Parts: sequence; C-alpha cells; structure tokens
Amino acid sequence: MVKRMTFKQFIFIIPLLCFIGVFSIYPIITSCMYTLFDYRTNDQEYNSFYMNEKLNTSLLVEDCQYVNYFISADITMVSEEDQAAFTEIMDSVTEVMNQYDGETTTRNMSAEETETIKGFIEKTTVDVKAIYDKYPDVEFYNRENIDTILQNLSTCIVESNFTGVANFAKLFQDSRFWAALAHTLIFMALSVSIEFVLGMCLALIMNKAMKGIGIIRTIALIPWAIPTAVSALIWSYLYDGSYGIISKAFESIGLISSQASMLLTVNGAMASAVLSDVWKTTPYMALLLLAGLQVIDRGLYESASIDGASPVKTFFSITLPLMKPSILVALLFRTLDAFRVYDLIAILTNGGPGNGTETLSVYAYKLMFNQSNYGYGSTIVIGMFVCVAAIAILYVKVLGADVLKND
Amino acid sequence: MSKSKVFNVVCWAFIIVFLLISIFPFLWILITSFKPEVEIHGAGAYNIIANNPTIENYITVIFEKHIFRAIRNSFVIASLTTLYVVIVASMSAYVIARFKFKGKSILMGLILAVSMFPQMIVIGPIFNMYYQLGWLNSYFISLAYCTITLPSAVWIMVTHFKQVPLSLEEAAKLDGCSAWGILWKIIFPISAPGIFATGIITFIAAWNEYLLSCTLNITESMQSVPVRIGYLRDEYSIFWSQITAAAIVVIIPTLIIVLLFQKQIVAGIANGAVKE
Repeated sequence: MVKRMTFKQFIFIIPLLCFIGVFSIYPIITSCMYTLFDYRTNDQEYNSFYMNEKLNTSLLVEDCQYVNYFISADITMVSEEDQAAFTEIMDSVTEVMNQYDGETTTRNMSAEETETIKGFIEKTTVDVKAIYDKYPDVEFYNRENIDTILQNLSTCIVESNFTGVANFAKLFQDSRFWAALAHTLIFMALSVSIEFVLGMCLALIMNKAMKGIGIIRTIALIPWAIPTAVSALIWSYLYDGSYGIISKAFESIGLISSQASMLLTVNGAMASAVLSDVWKTTPYMALLLLAGLQVIDRGLYESASIDGASPVKTFFSITLPLMKPSILVALLFRTLDAFRVYDLIAILTNGGPGNGTETLSVYAYKLMFNQSNYGYGSTIVIGMFVCVAAIAILYVKVLGADVLKND
Repeated sequence: MSKSKVFNVVCWAFIIVFLLISIFPFLWILITSFKPEVEIHGAGAYNIIANNPTIENYITVIFEKHIFRAIRNSFVIASLTTLYVVIVASMSAYVIARFKFKGKSILMGLILAVSMFPQMIVIGPIFNMYYQLGWLNSYFISLAYCTITLPSAVWIMVTHFKQVPLSLEEAAKLDGCSAWGILWKIIFPISAPGIFATGIITFIAAWNEYLLSCTLNITESMQSVPVRIGYLRDEYSIFWSQITAAAIVVIIPTLIIVLLFQKQIVAGIANGAVKE
C-alpha cells in the first residue's frame, strides 16, 4: 500500500531539489549558455556575455583624458589655424568626458547613443590624425602616443561576443576533438570489456563461497577505495621509463621493445591507462556482479545438475539470462564512468605523448582552465553530454537495462 | 585428478594471481618509500631491500610537504559532505520509497541522469560561481560534492527503506506519531545499517574526489589529499621516494576504513546496483 504525498511530505524532498537545482541543473544550463558565446575569462573584451554592443565608460573617460593631455603638450608646435582646430577637438573631447565622468560600468547603449559615440570616436580620430599628418617633420612629443590612444579609444565600444552556433560548427571541424573522442571510446571499450570478463570470473569464483572469502573481498576493495589520483601516481612510478618495475618486467618478457616506450609511445601510454583502470575497477565490477549472482535461486542450479547439464551450459542458459538486468546496469555505469575519465589520464599521461591519449574530459579541462576558453570548452562538454545520453539510451532502450525498476 | 579438482585448482590460481596483482603496487611503493632517492635511480633500483634504509622520506613528506594538513582537509570536507548528504538523502528517499506523487518517475530519472552525466559539465559554471561568491579555497567545496554523492546516496537509501515493513509505520501512525517522528524514531533506527553503508560510500567518494578539488581548492593550505600528492610531482624534478612515502601515508586511512567497514561497503555497492 502506497499513499499519496501531501504537502508535509513534499517538504522532505525540498532540500534534495535545492541541491540538484543549484549544483546540477543551474550549471548545466549555464554551460549551455557558455557554448553560444565566445567567452574567455582572460580577455577583457570577451570575459562577459554581450548580446549587443556595449560601452566601456571608464575606459572612454580615461582615453579622453589622455587625448587632451597629449594634444595640450603638442599644441604649441602647430600653426595658429591648427591650434584653433586642436582647441575645438579638445573642447568636444572634454564635453564627452564630462558627460560620462563618474560612470564606471560597461553598459548597454541606446541606438542614438551608439551613433553619437561612434561618430565622436571616428571624427576625433580623423581630425587629430589630419593635423599631425600635416607636419611630418615636426618632432612632436606624442606622435606615437596619440596613435596608440586613438586605437585604444575604438575599443571603448565592446563588440557583442554572441556567436550562436559557431562553436558547434568549429567542433565538427576540430580534428583534435574527433581524435579525443576516438581515444575516449578506445579507452572505454578496452577497459570495460576486460573488467567485465575478469570481474565475471572473480564473481563466479567468489559466489562458490570458498574459505577465505572475507580476506579476498577485503584485499579486492583496497584498489577501489584509494583515490584514483594516488593510484595513477603509483602506476606512473611503476611504468617509469628508466626505473619502473612494471615497464622493466614487460621489457624483459618482450612485451615492449624498450622500457621507455611504456609511457612515451601512444599505444604504450593507452595500454598503461587501460591496465591501471582495470587494476583499480575490476574488484568493483566483481562486487556488482556478485550481488546479481547472489539473487539467483540456488535450486535452479541443483535441478540443472540433476538434469546433467554441464557447468558451461548452466552458465550460458541459467546464470547469464538471469543476471542480464544486473549485468546491464553494471556495464552501463562502468561505461559512463570510463567515458568521462579524467583524473587517471590527467595524472598518468596528461593526454600525452603528443595528445595521443587525450580524452574528451582532459581536452575540455585544458580549454577551460589552462586557456580560460569557457565558450569552446563548454561546447566540447556538451558534445560529451550528447554521447553520454546516446550510450544511456543504447543500454536502456536497445538492450533493455531496467535502471528505473526501483520506482 | 578428477575434473572438479582441476577446476578448483584453476579457481585458486586465478584468485591468487588476482590478489598478488592487487597487492603488488602497494608492496613495491612500501619498499621504495624506505629507499634513499639515490638508490631509486641507480643500479639498485630493483633491489627489494634498500642498502641504506631510511625514514627520511616520511619525515620530509610529513614535516615539509604538509601531508597531514591535506589529510585533515580531506577529512573535514569528506565528513561535512557525508553529514549533509545522509540527512538530505534519507529525508527524500523516505518520501520516494513510501509515497505516490506526480513526477516521481521524473524525479528518479533526474537523479539517475545527474549520476550519469559527465562531471565536466558542471565544473566551469561552479568554478565561476565559487569565484564570484568568494568560496574558492574553502570548506564550501563540500557543497559542490553533492553532484557526485547525492544521487547514489538517494538510490541506496530508497532500496533500504523499501525493506522496512510498512506495518511498523502504521502502528506508529495509529499511536499519533508525526511524519518526522516516524522517520526519526522508526525508519532511521531500523535502517541504520543501510544509512551507515550510505555514509561510508559517500565518505569514500568525497575523500577520493579529484576534479572539483583540483579546480576549486588550489591554495596549498586547503588542498585535499589527492591534489596535494599530485603537486608533489609538479616541482622541477620527481622525488619518487617522497611520493611513495606520501602515498603510503595517505593509503593508511583508507586501509583502516576498508578493514573496519568492509561489510557496509559491500552492502552499499550491492544495494546501489541490484534491482531485484
């Protein structure tokens, strides 16, 4: 018997909704927004979201001050006629300066204002340059300075950095993205399939309830429980090109040509990453599968053995079909975990050698936090999101993994 | 030898090889951590016993590289996370397990989706949000950990709460117990093992978290264990003797947790996965 929820019970789930809203839904929506802009936090012109052109008022006032300052230093070196023209320019500059004095923000402009400011900047630039150009031989104090400041003046109007779907267009042509996707899929396929086979063997053996299962379980849990960052570091020592014991062992049995090729060739580095992931996650996979195995009624096995079925046949006609739901759920979660792998790759190879093991997460992280390019970095992440959704749909709809049965 | 005996031997061989492979990296770094740096690079790199065993690596790591401070940070952050996640998850899991309401399957789907999507999608906006709030390099990071811990916590708890017999609650309700009362006095005590399992799983997840903590808490004094140990390598040269010593030091707390709570951990993993 299940009752309907009233308002009193609704209060119980409010905290959950708040947490999911603030730390999951809001960031996802914000990420989607980032993809539409050329958003780079290390560049003043791109570090916010400008749908329209905006006016950087504090920069305008500052530039106006410099224009007047430079002209007033040079004004005595020109003819009287041009002195009058200079004075006129300085007056108009002062007028604009007074109008915006005290404002400090980068703000929206009305259409009329946009035109006025653009006209002002253009007219000032042309007029000032015309006078300076009249006297190519005079050694003004500020001939170069005035050029610089006039160029700077034109950046007071901040262009819109709204790029629409341009980031996605770039994504489709970005060969580094497709390479990263390929590395991610290779890593995912290799590590999940090896983990599944080994984990299944382990689970079947553990299910026989032999002596010492407690010890086996404890030891199996340790690789899973230590931080991936720590285990990745341990493995990078074991794989080391000059004194790593695993790379030495592989070299001496002839698996690799030289010790250094473990982390310094693309294939070696990928194999190293897969091996470390298999080492860490196989026990976890085994425990997931063991849980599924233990649900199966033991009576079924007894009848099968009475009917004379071989162990192999029993496995394929009883164990596997009955375990299908838990196998699919375990595979789904492991596949998605492997798809978004970050810490292992970041610490073990950091995408190297030559981006040869760079996964999507590593590429996106480098874009966002090493280059401060959130716009394009988020586009990569949204690409990952689409892949994750596709994988989940594949498992749930095509293979029939019943993840929502808990309802 | 009979067929089943051969089979048994194969099984045992598989288990033994598996256990050896599981343990070998730990043994090797334990050996390395007592070697002076010279012996790691030289001809004796593969010696099992160091010629001149030393505990200097441990002293350096503990007193100069502040590994204990990182352990303390990780402990505080993981404990805070566990505390609020268990409370929030048990409240909502109770309602989800016991009541019918519109949009319940949407809510469950949402929780599942959150546990599936790449963490990378939230990291940019969360970093900018924390930057604006001035929350970088603080214990507020534990709030952001809800994206990785809350969904699985709710999932495990729902499974546990469904195992609590309804009759108990009805009896309590007849005696005039409120919804809060039922949760705190009946459900909580009965499903204490499940709640404990959830807590342990949450704690380990928060303890091991790397992506958020290497982005949000980068000041040396606020670094968590996984980040701090990664930074040991980032200086001009790699001192493997120190890194291995640090690894041994940080593995010990995990080892204690696993040894003490392995039953709960296994129960938690199994409950998150099995759909009866």
